[in-house]
Amino acid sequence: MITYQITSMAIGVSLAVTILFLVRRDHLHGPYALWWIGVAVTVAFLSLFPRLFDVVAIKLGISYPPILAVIMGFSMLLVKLLTMDLERSRQERLIRRLAQRLALLEAQAPEMPVLDKATPPENSSGKVNE
Amino acid sequence: MSCSITNVDRPIILIPAYNEQATIDAVIRQARASWQIPIVAIDDCSTDATARIARAAGATVLPLRIQLGAWGAIQTGLRYALRHGYRTAITLDADGQHDPQDIGRLLQPLTSHQADVTIGAFPERASCARRLAWNYFRRLTGLALEDITSGFRAYNHAAMIVLATPEASLLDYQDVGVLLILRRHGLRIVETPVSMRLRAIGASRVFRSWWVVGKYMLQTSLLCLARIGHGALAPVDDSTG
Repeated sequence: MITYQITSMAIGVSLAVTILFLVRRDHLHGPYALWWIGVAVTVAFLSLFPRLFDVVAIKLGISYPPILAVIMGFSMLLVKLLTMDLERSRQERLIRRLAQRLALLEAQAPEMPVLDKATPPENSSGKVNE
Repeated sequence: MSCSITNVDRPIILIPAYNEQATIDAVIRQARASWQIPIVAIDDCSTDATARIARAAGATVLPLRIQLGAWGAIQTGLRYALRHGYRTAITLDADGQHDPQDIGRLLQPLTSHQADVTIGAFPERASCARRLAWNYFRRLTGLALEDITSGFRAYNHAAMIVLATPEASLLDYQDVGVLLILRRHGLRIVETPVSMRLRAIGASRVFRSWWVVGKYMLQTSLLCLARIGHGALAPVDDSTG
């Protein structure tokens, strides 16, 4: 029979492998990769010692130990979501400043071959086409 | 009639425009006929011929490749103005609801050093709902102004510097957020009554639909609440060009 330890280890290790693969393929940028590697290592480590939660949860006065893991995971996700939106706001500011700078440059050099109306403009959500 | 403004510190007219091909030509020509001031139209990613018409009417066109909204367009104009050494900026809507003849009244408080920013106000134009919204924001912010969403404004050099910074780049409208930044930097804002024509074509970019209004009210309320107790900063040093 597969034990709880094997299941959690399988999850942790496969997550770690996926992240490493994405970093190798250059799909995950530095600081984000670091966060996810940290997640993978933590999950793998905790899955090696699943009894750890029982000990800690009892010390913290939690009567149902698995809920501690759920709460901790959920909190970390919230922190991650918050930092993602912080980063998005920073990028939005940068994109707006860049678009403004580009408009100034294009006005300065009108003879420059600019994109005509045949080229669809970037959409209003601020996404830039690749 | 052509009036030249001699005692105004290097003025420039900024007109943010999004799909205003029906009105932009008349707006620019009227402004040019009345005042001998450079005019810059900021094309906020229009899908019609706004940019071409504005250029033909004699304005310098700043073509935005990503739609930034009315405030993003105005900030583009402010950055252009500062970069080219202008020291007074007048903003005007492209839909023809502001009369360029009133620019003189708008500039008067700036030339007499009574204020750093003048808002051309016409509270009578407002619908009941709009007045309620203004009243609400007045109470929330403590700003003693009638027409907080008017796009007909004049900024002096100190105000232009403050509003061109990245601090103001995440704002979406030229209204409460802009006024709060100005107040935080100790800049004086006054209102001047102006005449306002009925919006011929097109609708306000803020008061467009109930969904947009709701989003706008929530977003702006949050902005106001977040700014409570936001300490005042040292006045802007305007001495460096």
